[in-house]
Amino acid sequence: MEHERCYIYTPPETNGRAPKRRRISKGDPKIHLPERLQTFRHIWAEQEERIRNTLEEADRATQDKIVDFVSSASPSERQVIPTGLIVAGPSIASHGSFFDRLGKRIKKDTNSAYTVLTSADAPNLKTLLKNLIKKTTSRVEDDDDDDDMGCPTSSARNGSKLLGFDLGHIQGWRVRNPVDGVVIAFQDSEAFDARVLVEMIDLFYSWLDRIPFVLLFGIATSAESFEDRLSRKTLRYLEGQKFDVTQSDEIIERLFRVTVASANVPLRIGPTVARRILDRQKDHVQNTQDFSDGLKYAYMSHFYASYPTIFLKSDLSKGDLTTEAFEAVRNMPSFRRWIEAKVDAGESRIVRKLLDSDDTLFDYIVSHLKSGQTALNGLSCAVRVLDSLRRSLQMSPTARLSSIWVRAASADMIGSPFLRETMLSLKKMSPERFLQLLETWSSDDLDSSFFTLDLGLYVSELEALIEANDGSIHFRNQHDVGNESLRTTVVAQKVLLSKHKATLSEHDKAYSELVGRLHEELGAYFANAFIDPKDLFLSEILMYDLKSPHTEVFQPRPRFAIERALSSPHDYLGCDCCGTDRGEGEGASLSATLPATAILYQLYLESGSLINVSDLWSAFHAMVGDDEEDSEPRAMALFQRALAELKHLGFVKPSRKKTDHIAKTMWKGL
Amino acid sequence: MLPDELLDQLRATFPCRELQLQQLAALYSQSLPFPPLLVAHGLPCTGKSALIKAFLEAASLPHVIVNCRECITGRHLLERTVGGCLDALDATGDGKMDRRPYSRTENLSSLVVNLQKMLEGRRDKFIVVFDGIDAQREAPPTLLPALTRFGEIISNLSVIMITTLPPSLLHKPGIPHLNFPAYTRQDLITILSASPPKIFFTTPSSEQFPDYTPDLAAEDDAWLWNRFLTAVWESISKHTGRDLVSFRNTSLRLWREFVAPIVDGTFGTRDFSRLMVNRRHLFQTEDAVLDRIIKKTANNTAVAKRKTIQHDLPYYTTHLLISAYLASYNPSRTDTTYFMKHSDKRKNKRKVCSHSGITKSKHRRIPRHLLTPSPFPLDRLLAIFRSLLDAPVPQLADIYTQIATLTSMRLLVRVGGMVGADPLDASARWRVNFGWEWVRSLGRSVGIEVGEYLVGGVDG
Repeated sequence: MEHERCYIYTPPETNGRAPKRRRISKGDPKIHLPERLQTFRHIWAEQEERIRNTLEEADRATQDKIVDFVSSASPSERQVIPTGLIVAGPSIASHGSFFDRLGKRIKKDTNSAYTVLTSADAPNLKTLLKNLIKKTTSRVEDDDDDDDMGCPTSSARNGSKLLGFDLGHIQGWRVRNPVDGVVIAFQDSEAFDARVLVEMIDLFYSWLDRIPFVLLFGIATSAESFEDRLSRKTLRYLEGQKFDVTQSDEIIERLFRVTVASANVPLRIGPTVARRILDRQKDHVQNTQDFSDGLKYAYMSHFYASYPTIFLKSDLSKGDLTTEAFEAVRNMPSFRRWIEAKVDAGESRIVRKLLDSDDTLFDYIVSHLKSGQTALNGLSCAVRVLDSLRRSLQMSPTARLSSIWVRAASADMIGSPFLRETMLSLKKMSPERFLQLLETWSSDDLDSSFFTLDLGLYVSELEALIEANDGSIHFRNQHDVGNESLRTTVVAQKVLLSKHKATLSEHDKAYSELVGRLHEELGAYFANAFIDPKDLFLSEILMYDLKSPHTEVFQPRPRFAIERALSSPHDYLGCDCCGTDRGEGEGASLSATLPATAILYQLYLESGSLINVSDLWSAFHAMVGDDEEDSEPRAMALFQRALAELKHLGFVKPSRKKTDHIAKTMWKGL
Repeated sequence: MLPDELLDQLRATFPCRELQLQQLAALYSQSLPFPPLLVAHGLPCTGKSALIKAFLEAASLPHVIVNCRECITGRHLLERTVGGCLDALDATGDGKMDRRPYSRTENLSSLVVNLQKMLEGRRDKFIVVFDGIDAQREAPPTLLPALTRFGEIISNLSVIMITTLPPSLLHKPGIPHLNFPAYTRQDLITILSASPPKIFFTTPSSEQFPDYTPDLAAEDDAWLWNRFLTAVWESISKHTGRDLVSFRNTSLRLWREFVAPIVDGTFGTRDFSRLMVNRRHLFQTEDAVLDRIIKKTANNTAVAKRKTIQHDLPYYTTHLLISAYLASYNPSRTDTTYFMKHSDKRKNKRKVCSHSGITKSKHRRIPRHLLTPSPFPLDRLLAIFRSLLDAPVPQLADIYTQIATLTSMRLLVRVGGMVGADPLDASARWRVNFGWEWVRSLGRSVGIEVGEYLVGGVDG
């Protein structure tokens, strides 16, 4: 081989199939895939619509203010550049979509050109201007555009040539497209170099008599820290307003309300996944895009990975289905539980039919899907009732709707102190609160098919009571402890404590009775509505609750994976040689059969922050090399390769502190 | 020389620039040859550009003004000069010139050639003004000396340079310099009192005060404004912001609040001394001299001026920021004292505090949080992060995402490391970019008293 400078590597022939290929099931995983895809698209389109509406609703107020600001800033004669500081919060990943929506609004409602610049567009002033000109002049209209707009010397002003970064381009463009203002939005103003910003503002100010600029800065931290980065002279050129964008946790809450906890969703994520997504939002990122991505991924994996999801298709007929789908349903745990319950109930004939006949099963599935959806919708409705009840009673600690839903969906609500406390304070409710509560409920557009209480009756009865009480709303509640007083009497040198109830009038009693009735009915309603979703037949179809696909995709652990691969390669290799004596005591076993890098990594973990390479080598050699004399070159090669691999992974770097030493840069478990 | 009435008009527009105007008029009189070069220099806001522009326009001399602020590179300056000259010649001459020969001006020599070609055969002088030439970005080193000689090479060209300080490297003796000195106190007050702002936005109703005519109001405005200017100068602007624009901005910012008692009728328009006493708090704060993007109004001055993030940060992000602060301000050798799980934190802390207390008496030490932050490696940040939290945190990629996010928000700054290298490269070092007050409030929002972990403690 040495005489050849290069050669073509031909991999050894494999005979047909790879030897390491396993298939556990014989069925075709792609069965009904197009139908499932279609169903997914249909259901997800609805959700996406809801998400989009919610997001637009959420920042409509802010956008209105910004649009007003832009349109009022445009025409006047000015000495300063009108500047909007948009405090958009630390979730910088959602800034992009915010500025997109804002741009659409601004273009629609005002006669202005709108350009978004990100820090990637602006490493220096020249590039910033080039990008600005390119984006501004080519975006609005395509028919009237000069073909040679992109090239650096193009004729814009009566024949004279302009360089690519000359703002004269925009001036010339404005002559052809008369706009009131040129709005420039800086999406991530913190990431811009402060020097570039200062120079740019200076330049814009100098052009202000020819081009009416309006600047919008997206700010993640605070307006004050943005001002601190600019020089005083620059600040003199700017004047404007500050706009606050809705906090993202509030938006997430609203999104959750419409996408999961609303009463007309055919498919829901389960409590485990929901908790994961919400916790991630709280602990790590605050990002509406991530939330909807997580939801979409859950939907996608649900439809991709399981056959029976085909039953969620809206107009399904028996003929569309194959027997595999029914087999899959028969294998579901909820089906088994259901069947066992039926057997226990002695309905063995139906059970036999369900197991044998696909037609019967189909009818049952259709009806149970419907009832299951109704039950889940009822659950979500009850959660909303409970949420508005707690808010009307102003109970602390304030629990978010999402957390209430997660508790309810994991069947943790019935009999919980949380619910009991709420019901108790309902019983002690004052009449003002009562009225307020009834108003909230009737304005909350709760679906009357799920929320069965007759609110109108309560309202009319309460009004009748107020009428009877000469229009006064002051009733005493029998259940309220505030109306009781303790009385001490001393009888024969003994102190007697006795509870004394304030005397209740006829109306008070009637009121207490009314509240008591509401308490009872509501209790019964909750007991009915808070079911355990897992107990439903076909709950696997109606609810997606698998944790690991979500975690693997959205919360990978790269560093952990590398450390684990190095410290216990057996987990990945699955060989017999080094996995035998593991089990108790972690990582202690160091044997020559491990890969060289793994051995070196063990030695690395045991050493201090500066490692003597020579010591490392002797330890490595003692481990790998056998007593024969000629093993050294081979061990040395292994050692060097392993060390190079560690260096490549960033574990060590050469150190100048001591000769022949390398510095340790990463510690395990961080 | 200019006709006298034009000069008088200019004098009225530019008070206190008598001398400069006379010199300009003398240098650029039609009967005499123009100087090939004039250097006009003076501090910002002394009326250089405005005066020269107004003079050239009034004298209707063919000229072009090139604003060097608008030129991004040296080449850009040359191109704009040629373009501006062509425009100006088109405007003065008859008919348009053929622009095709002037399409490219790559360097100074081709600028000379182009200008020569342009001005060939013209009898009248042409003036090119370079405004702010000393602040030109990416200027070629020979720019100034070359421009100096343009007037010699091209006989009917005259160059005016407007600079902040007189340029020292022109390599040519005998250049006329025109100095624009900073305005004195008397000048400033004269200039500003020429345009007094109104006391009343809406004049008092004529039924109620029938004898308060607009003339009277204007007189009152001028009287009060003049006294007010003197007060502002003596109390604030003398010490900070002595130039015309700063002084005017400061005065205008204070004016409305100053005259508020007059508007609501507490004082008369001539009660200056009582007004001064009543409104003295305006002259005691620094609000008026600070330039801000958002105008301070009466109600939001009450809002705390602390630097806060208005939006809440996620839980782990907050802890990451706190640990980054601690990693920046604590020396790494004290980490075992402060963050080892098994040692008693309280005991060790007391020891360190008393230690610093002893040294304090010997020689004054600056508290750590007043020093600049020192860089730290990423693993130290992560180690402190984990020791601050009680519960174990999984090694998620989200933590790295947050560090990257904080970097793009400039709360963490990467120092050293290769430019363009992987931002999470282990050998990179980091620094925090926020201050003590902010991290303290951040810590309190998650129940961590940051001062307890800071070496040397924090007083107050």
